[in-house]
Amino acid sequence: MEWWENVGRGAPVSRRALLKAAAVTAALVTASPGRLSSIMAQGVTTLDYYTLFHSGDAAAMERIVRAFNGEHRTVRLNLLQGQWAEYYAQLFAAVGSGNAPQIGICHSSRVMDVYRALTPLEESRAGNLLEIAGIREPMYTKNVWDSGVYQGKRYLVPLDSHMFGMWYNKDLFRQAGLDPDKPPETRDDFERAAEAIKTRTGRFAFHPAEDALPRKLRRGWEIFFWGQGGSLLTPDGRRAAFNEDRGVRALDYLAGIVQRRGWNTPGTDGFKQFAAGQLGMLLAGNWYLPTAKSAGVNFGFHYVPKFFDRPTTWGDSHNLVIPRQRPDRASNEVLVEAIKAIKWINERSEAWGIYGGHIPAFLPAQRSKDLLESDSWKLALNKFTDMANRGYVHYPLTHEKAPQVHAAIEPHIQEAYNGRITPRDALVRAEAEVNRVLAG
Amino acid sequence: MNWKRLSRAIEISAFLLPFAAFWVLFRLVPVLYGFFISLYKWDLLGDARFIGLRNYVNLGRDPRFWNALGVTLEFAAIAIPLIVGIGLLLALFIFGGRRRRWAAAAEAGFFFPYLLTVSVVGLIWRWMLDPDFGIVLLVLRGWGLPAPVFLNEPRWAIPAIAFATAWWLSGYRMVLFRAALEDIPEEFYEAARIDGASGARMFFSITLPLLKPAVLFALVLTTISGFIVFGQVLIMTAGGPGRVSEVLALYLYRFGFEYLEMGQAAAVGVVLFLIILGLTLVTFRWLGYGSSL
Repeated sequence: MEWWENVGRGAPVSRRALLKAAAVTAALVTASPGRLSSIMAQGVTTLDYYTLFHSGDAAAMERIVRAFNGEHRTVRLNLLQGQWAEYYAQLFAAVGSGNAPQIGICHSSRVMDVYRALTPLEESRAGNLLEIAGIREPMYTKNVWDSGVYQGKRYLVPLDSHMFGMWYNKDLFRQAGLDPDKPPETRDDFERAAEAIKTRTGRFAFHPAEDALPRKLRRGWEIFFWGQGGSLLTPDGRRAAFNEDRGVRALDYLAGIVQRRGWNTPGTDGFKQFAAGQLGMLLAGNWYLPTAKSAGVNFGFHYVPKFFDRPTTWGDSHNLVIPRQRPDRASNEVLVEAIKAIKWINERSEAWGIYGGHIPAFLPAQRSKDLLESDSWKLALNKFTDMANRGYVHYPLTHEKAPQVHAAIEPHIQEAYNGRITPRDALVRAEAEVNRVLAG
Repeated sequence: MNWKRLSRAIEISAFLLPFAAFWVLFRLVPVLYGFFISLYKWDLLGDARFIGLRNYVNLGRDPRFWNALGVTLEFAAIAIPLIVGIGLLLALFIFGGRRRRWAAAAEAGFFFPYLLTVSVVGLIWRWMLDPDFGIVLLVLRGWGLPAPVFLNEPRWAIPAIAFATAWWLSGYRMVLFRAALEDIPEEFYEAARIDGASGARMFFSITLPLLKPAVLFALVLTTISGFIVFGQVLIMTAGGPGRVSEVLALYLYRFGFEYLEMGQAAAVGVVLFLIILGLTLVTFRWLGYGSSL
């Protein structure tokens, strides 16, 4: 009888048996080479792929990953999609603890503060991964490609461009006596349209910031601010530069939407209002397309109107990345499989446009017949692409402390939007806090 | 020490060892490690640099920290009595009807929210208080009552989160109090009734004093919950509007995992630990060590 057969039968367990059990357990623990064995088990390499997508674009990425897994026998993508707001925290924690996913997403605007968690693609321990996979600059939208380098090293492979645009309800436009085929492009036309919707339909006329989360309100303010040529920080990035007339004008306009004009009320969610047919016009990103389509609203899409001196919208890009890997957990072969998977995802990224509502950065996908003939293209993506090509898109602040700077501004923008403080006071407070962050 | 006593000590130690090992590994070590980290500047991804008590000095100079401390105290001041008070009232209600058929169903119903995770609780209440489609505001408007946008009003955000927390946690306190009520001998009440004591007198002179161990346990537990509140705040208001509901745990989370200031986040953790420890000791002192379980 072996020693383990005594266990649980009331028979005494000898010291020798206990030592044997401890030795076996210790051997199992020490012999396990981390997660390497689980990544490359039974001839199948499983690559963890973390994203920050949610709702419509998350479903589109699932579709792409399903297609990948259906087409590959020896490599499998394990997709984990999370909350936007927590994504970078989770990525840092995963990298810091040595459990990084093999593929991730990074915004172009975040490369300066995220790069330390990423693998430099041309100088990885597996060699030049871009060369290995055949990823080359001419295949991608130039400005997005250019945004993927920091301190001379490339960390990002472009996936898409995304930006805010103006969604409008055609039925409410008709009820308000407006032409649904001629959405407003200038501030005067926009204000006339908003007043008409408010007075003639009794519905909410306009929402400037998606679901009105603090970061969305900040984006709304930035659109008005950048439209006047403003800049968040001084050129050397050491001081706040937004507490000036243009910043105040922009915030006054944002707050006036709910405080003076009555086009909406503070605290409301523009996504939901629009999907319920209760909102005339909404500033929101292209990721809203799948939701707008499924909501059954008779909607149109147009450029962000020229509110101030120049037509401007907020925009950014998603990029595919390989987070920093521990050699004992991910071999060089794993890195190679990851970059090949990244290339494959890009090659199928017309689906990212059709189902996710984003503009693919991979040019063959952007120009593919499937995309150009799709509903998504006709409904919105053509206008989004126009905005990008016309130079309307303004990237967010790129700075090592961008998250802190944004976090220092957002509560004060929200307070002004809610009517708790004046726009001037809000920017004075935000300026003081930003300068404190930058000095720290 | 004779052999028998030594053998007994070894036996007791052997029983305690598995729990003690896990407690040390997963409780004590992280606490000590947290204090250790708080003395460093560390961003999770790079090398750590020893900076002494500078993280604590930075906290003292950061108005946002003081705001978060004030918000946490405000939340605790509302939530702790609310959770314990509602738990006690529910227990008395259930205990009063313990021989009725509905009592068990009501008890299960009151306890049910406690089975939910914090994210579910946060989402339920965020939806219920939604200004466009939330049922709470619809009902209030339907009755012609003022319907503030609770989660976007500085005055209402913290009370609304405290109320949602009470809805979530009171059920467990109810079970604690109900079990304690069962333990009070019926003879005490009979004697009091014979002496002509009123219901209120019996409650304050018999029930409440004999509930002291349960009250102490509930208070300590709820004090800890009140001061480390995080999930429901993150989901319901994300600290807003402005920073009206940014509690210390959320401040800690943002500095640790959004700005990667792990040292400063750890310093907040140490401050929170000291506050909770201090309040727990005060509670023990106030209710008397004799009332410990």
